Amino acid sequence: MTEAPGVERSQAIGIATAGRPPLRLVPILERRSTIGDFERISVYGASLIVAALISISLLAVAGVAPSALGSEIATVAFSSPRALGSVLAQTAPFLIAGLATAIAFRANFWNIGLEGQMIFGAICASVVAIYDIGPEWLRLPLMMIAAAVGGMLWIAGPGYLKLKIGVSEVITTLLLNYVAFNLLLNQLYGPWQDPVSRFPHTEAYDTAERMPFLGWENLSWALPFAVVLMLGLWWVYSMSRFGYLTDLMRSNREMARAVGVPVVGLSIAAILGSGAVGGLTGFAITAGVEGRMTQDFFTGYLFAGVLIAFLGRNHPLGVAAFAIFMAILLLVGQSLQVFFQVPFSLVQLIQAIFIVCVAGSQFFLTYRMHWRGAA
Amino acid sequence: MDFLANWAASIPAFAVPFALAAFGLIISEKAGVLNLGAEGFMLAGALAGVGLMIAGAPPLLALAGAAMAGAAMGLLFAVMVAGLRIDHVISGLALVFASGALTSFIAAQYRWTNTAIGGLEPVLLEQDIVVFATPFICLAVVWLLQRTRFGLAIRAVGENPGAADAAGIDVTNVRFAAIILGAALIGLAGGYLTVAVTRIWVDGVVGGRGWIAIALVIFARWHPWRALLGALLFGCIEALIPRIAATGADVPRYFLQMTPYLATLAVMVWAAMRGSDRWAQPAALGQHHVREDRT
Amino acid sequence: MAAALALKDVTKVFGGFRALDRISFSATAGEVHALLGENGAGKSTLMNIASGIYTPDEGHIEIDGTPVVLKGARDAALRGVGMVHQHFKLVRSFSVLDNLRLFNPQTAPSALSDRAKSLAAQMGFNIDLARTVGTLGVAEQQRVEILKVLVAGAQIVILDEPTAVLSDEEGNALMALVRSLADAGNAVVLVTHKLNEALFHSDRITVIRSGRKIVGTIPSETDAKRLTTDIVGEYLVEEPALSAAAGSVRLGLVEVQQPGSDGRKGLRGASFNARGGEIYGVAGVAGNGQDELADVLSGMAAPEAGKIEIAGAGDVAADGPDARRRHGVATIPVDRYRQGLAGGMSVADNLAVRGALAGRYGGWSRFDRRAARKRAAELVESFEIQGVRSLGQRSALLSGGNAQKLVLAREFEGDPSIVVAHSPTRGLDVRASAAVHGRLRKARDRGAAVVVISEDLDEIMLLSDRIGVLSGGRITAEFSAPADRAAIGQAMVGHD
Repeated sequence: MTEAPGVERSQAIGIATAGRPPLRLVPILERRSTIGDFERISVYGASLIVAALISISLLAVAGVAPSALGSEIATVAFSSPRALGSVLAQTAPFLIAGLATAIAFRANFWNIGLEGQMIFGAICASVVAIYDIGPEWLRLPLMMIAAAVGGMLWIAGPGYLKLKIGVSEVITTLLLNYVAFNLLLNQLYGPWQDPVSRFPHTEAYDTAERMPFLGWENLSWALPFAVVLMLGLWWVYSMSRFGYLTDLMRSNREMARAVGVPVVGLSIAAILGSGAVGGLTGFAITAGVEGRMTQDFFTGYLFAGVLIAFLGRNHPLGVAAFAIFMAILLLVGQSLQVFFQVPFSLVQLIQAIFIVCVAGSQFFLTYRMHWRGAA
Repeated sequence: MDFLANWAASIPAFAVPFALAAFGLIISEKAGVLNLGAEGFMLAGALAGVGLMIAGAPPLLALAGAAMAGAAMGLLFAVMVAGLRIDHVISGLALVFASGALTSFIAAQYRWTNTAIGGLEPVLLEQDIVVFATPFICLAVVWLLQRTRFGLAIRAVGENPGAADAAGIDVTNVRFAAIILGAALIGLAGGYLTVAVTRIWVDGVVGGRGWIAIALVIFARWHPWRALLGALLFGCIEALIPRIAATGADVPRYFLQMTPYLATLAVMVWAAMRGSDRWAQPAALGQHHVREDRT
Repeated sequence: MAAALALKDVTKVFGGFRALDRISFSATAGEVHALLGENGAGKSTLMNIASGIYTPDEGHIEIDGTPVVLKGARDAALRGVGMVHQHFKLVRSFSVLDNLRLFNPQTAPSALSDRAKSLAAQMGFNIDLARTVGTLGVAEQQRVEILKVLVAGAQIVILDEPTAVLSDEEGNALMALVRSLADAGNAVVLVTHKLNEALFHSDRITVIRSGRKIVGTIPSETDAKRLTTDIVGEYLVEEPALSAAAGSVRLGLVEVQQPGSDGRKGLRGASFNARGGEIYGVAGVAGNGQDELADVLSGMAAPEAGKIEIAGAGDVAADGPDARRRHGVATIPVDRYRQGLAGGMSVADNLAVRGALAGRYGGWSRFDRRAARKRAAELVESFEIQGVRSLGQRSALLSGGNAQKLVLAREFEGDPSIVVAHSPTRGLDVRASAAVHGRLRKARDRGAAVVVISEDLDEIMLLSDRIGVLSGGRITAEFSAPADRAAIGQAMVGHD
C-alpha cells in the first residue's frame, strides 16, 4: 500500500477523507536543543500543580474534602505561634536530611543510605551519651562529632567501592540501611535497652546531652543548626571553587577529569560530606527531638530526603523550601490520621506522587513531541 | 541430622522469590532497562497475593493476581523510562517509594496487615508447585531470550538500540513489553513470598529482597541459569537464619539477620573485582533511545 | 525511464535549524551517484530520509517512479533502499547471522543463510556467518552491513562516507565493489566529502551545501578546483606550512603498552619522540591504537608498561591528567562533546576551568565569577568562537567547529609546551578545520611539541613536520615532510 505523497497536515489529524485510507498518527520525538528559563520554571511549576491536584483528589476519595483539607492546613501550620513552632521544629531534621541527600546527588552519587547513616551516626552519638564520655560541657559537641564520623564511616564503604571498583552505590548504600537497622535492634533489644521501662529504646539522654531549647515554643537549637548548615552549603555551591568544580564534574565527569579537575578528591569530599550530614540528621532527631534513641526514629527520612533534594533541585535554598513543605505535609498527615482516620501512609503516597510528577516533567524539558500521519 | 533436613527442605521456598525476581530483572535489563524498581514490583505482587487470599481466592489465582499487580506497576515504570524517557535511576527509586506507600495505604485501608492467610500446599517432598515450576520458568526465559525472534529483538534493543531501530524494531514497544513481562515475574516473586513463605502481610514485607535480586543479576552476569544458582545460594543463607534460631544456639539474632545483606554486598564486590561484567552487561543498559537524535 | 530512487523537494528542520531546504536528488539503476558536500552540509540527513530513518517535513520520496512513505530503515530496505551508515548499525555482540536475522525477521534462518552465502560469494566476500561481529575488522563489518541490506533485497545502496574508516587499500577495494554493485544493476549512492572518490569512481555528482543543492554534474565536465568551489562556496585550499626550526625533544614514548578496550589490540610497544617546535603526526588506520595512545598521553589511562618522558619532568607514565597538565600538557580529545565540554554548563564556566585550577579566580573557598567571565569574553573574542549569544549560554548548543574552538581556547590557556590532539577536525567543515589547524601551527611556532593523531591521512600530510605510522599498536615507520603519500599508505597497512 502506498500513500499519496505530501500528506497535508490537516489530513494528518486523523479523520479519514473519502477515497483515502485512514491515517494513523505517530508521535515524533525530538530532543530540544535549547530551552528558556521561563519554560523551565513553568514546566516545573506545572508538575507541582499536577501533583498537588492528584493528591487533593486522592484525599477527597479517602474522605477529606478539599475545603476540609484547606482548613486543616491552615490550622496545623499557621493558626498559632504554637502551630508554626511545630512546623519549624519538624522542618529542622527534614532540612538536614535533604541537605545530606543533596550533597551526594549534586556530585552524582546516589546516596540511598540516609537511614543507615542516621542510625549509625545516632549510635555513635549514643555511645558518647550512654557511657558519659568527656566532661558535661563538652558532651554535646562530642556527640555531634561522633554522629558525623559515624555517618562518614557508614558511607565510606559504598564510596570506596564506587570509586575504586565501580560498584553501584544505589544498591550498596541501600543494603547498608538494613544492616544498620539490625545493628540498632541488636543494641536496643540488648545492651542499651531502657533498664527502667524495658522498652526497646535507650534510656533518656541527660540534659547536657540534648540540644537546648531556644526559648520560643518547642524549638531547639536543631533549627538554627540546620539553617547555618544550609547557608554554609549555599555559599559553597555558589561562591567557592569547590562548588564550581563539583558542578562541572556533575555535568561531565570524564571531561572534568581530562582537564585536570581532581574528581576523585571532590567525590570523596562530597560522599563523606553527605555521610557526615546524614549522621548529623540522626543526631538532630535523637538529641534534638526525642531525647533518646528509639527503634524507629529514622523512619521515613530516606524517602523524605530524596524527595526534598530532588524537588529542591539539590540547591540548598530549594531544599529549605521543600523541607518546610515536607514538614507541613507530615503534620497535616498526622492530623488527618486522627480526625479523618486516613492511613498515615497517605503522606508517603503523596510524596511519591510529587516525585513521579516532577520526574515526569523532565520529559517536557528534554523533548519536543509532535504528531505526524503515517500510512 | 534433623537440622540439615529441615534446613534443606526450607531452602527452595526461600530461593524461589530471588530466582523469579532475578528472571524478571534479566528480561527487562536485557532490553537495556536499568530496573531498580524490583523491590516495588515485589511489594505490589506481595500485597495482591495477600489481598486475593483474604478475599478467598485459591492460592494459584492469588499468584496470578500478584503477577498482574507487578505488571501494572511495570506498566507505570515503562511509561516513565521507555515512554517519557525519564532517568532510569530516579524512576526506579520513585516506584519503590510509590509502591511502598501504596501497598501500605491499601493494606491499612482494608485492614489486611497482620492477617494470617492459608498458603500454598506442598505437592511433593514438602515442596509446592511453584518450586517445581521454577526451573521450567528459567528454561522458558532462556528459550525466550535465545531462541525466539522477540528475544533477539530484546537483546538487540539492549545492546544497540540504534541498530535495532534501523532493523525496523520498535525500540519503545520492545522495552514496554520486556519491562511488563519482567515486572509480572517480579510481582509473582513477591506474591510467592507472602502466599507461600510468610503467609502474612506486614508493611515492607519484601525486606530488601528486590535489591538483593538486582545484585544477584549482576552476580549472575545476566544469565538465567547462573541467577538460579545464585538464588539457591541466597535461599541457603536465608533458610539458615530461622533454623539456627530454632536450635536455640546463642547467636546474636540481629547479626544473623544481617547476613543476607552482607552476603549481597560481598557478592557485588566479588562480581566487580572479577571485572568481566562489561562484557556481560547489556551495552545500552540505562540508555534512552530517540530516533531523531542528531549526532 | 524512472529513476530508481528520487527525492523531491525535501525539507527537514531540526529545532528551527533548516538542515535541508527543498532538495531534489535521484539515482538510476546501474550508476554510481556521488553526493558531495562538506561536513554539516546535510548529506547524511538527506540519505537518512531516503532510507526511512527520518521523515521529511516537506517533500516526498519516489521509488521506481512510485511515491512512497517509508516507515523505517527496514521498510526502506524491503522496498529496495539500503543504507550503510558511517557508524555501523550492527549489534557487536551478535553473530553475523543474528545481525542478518534481526534485519530480515521474515525469512527462515536456513534460507537466510543460503541467500547470504550466495550474495557474499557474488561480492567476493568470504565470511563465516557464525563469527561475532565485534571480532571482525572494520572493513569486514562494513561488508556485513552491505550484505545485510542486499539480503533484504536492496537494489538502491547508499553508502555514507564509506572510506572514512578504511585504509587507502581497503578504500580502493571498496570502490571496486561499488562498481561491481552498479554493474550488477543496482543504483549506488556514494555519500562523501572526498573529491577524488567522486571524480574517479562515480558516474554522476551532486554537490550540496548548507542544505541546498548547488550543482549536478558528471565527472568529465568538472575538476577538483571547481568542485572545491562548489562545496565550500569559495576556492579555499589549505597549504602546508612546515616548521621553521625544531628544537629539542619534549616528549618521548618508550615501548609503551596499553591493552585496548572492546577487545582491540591497543598499544604494543609504541615508541617515538616529539620535539619542541614541530608537529608530529601519527598516521594509521582506525583501531590500531589511536584511542589508547591519546589516553596514555593525556594521562586518562596509565600505560601497562613503558615510559612516557617529558623534558624536565622525567617519566610521567603513572601520573593522572591533573599532574600531566602541571607539566604543561594540553589535550584536545577526539570526542569534543563527551570529553571536551561540560554540555550542561555555560560557555563561561567551560572556559574558566583551567584558570580556576591554576588559582586565578581565588583559592579553594572562592570562585570569582566576574573575573572568570571577563577572561571568558576575551577568549571568545580572540579564538573567534561564534554563535555565543551570551556567556551564560549552555555550551552544548555550540556547533562542532565552535565547540572545538572553545576546547582550543581553554586548552591553550597558559601556553602549554606539549599539545596532544586526537582527530582535531573530525566532523568539521573546511573553514573550521583551517582555523583549528592554524591554532595548532601557532602553538608549534611558539615552540610547543604538537602531537596530532588522525585517521585522516590528508590531514596528517597537511599538518605534520614529521609523521609516524601507527600500525598494530607500534610506530612502524617514520617520515619527514614532505613525505611520499604512497609510502605512508603502504606502511599503514603493512603488518608485522
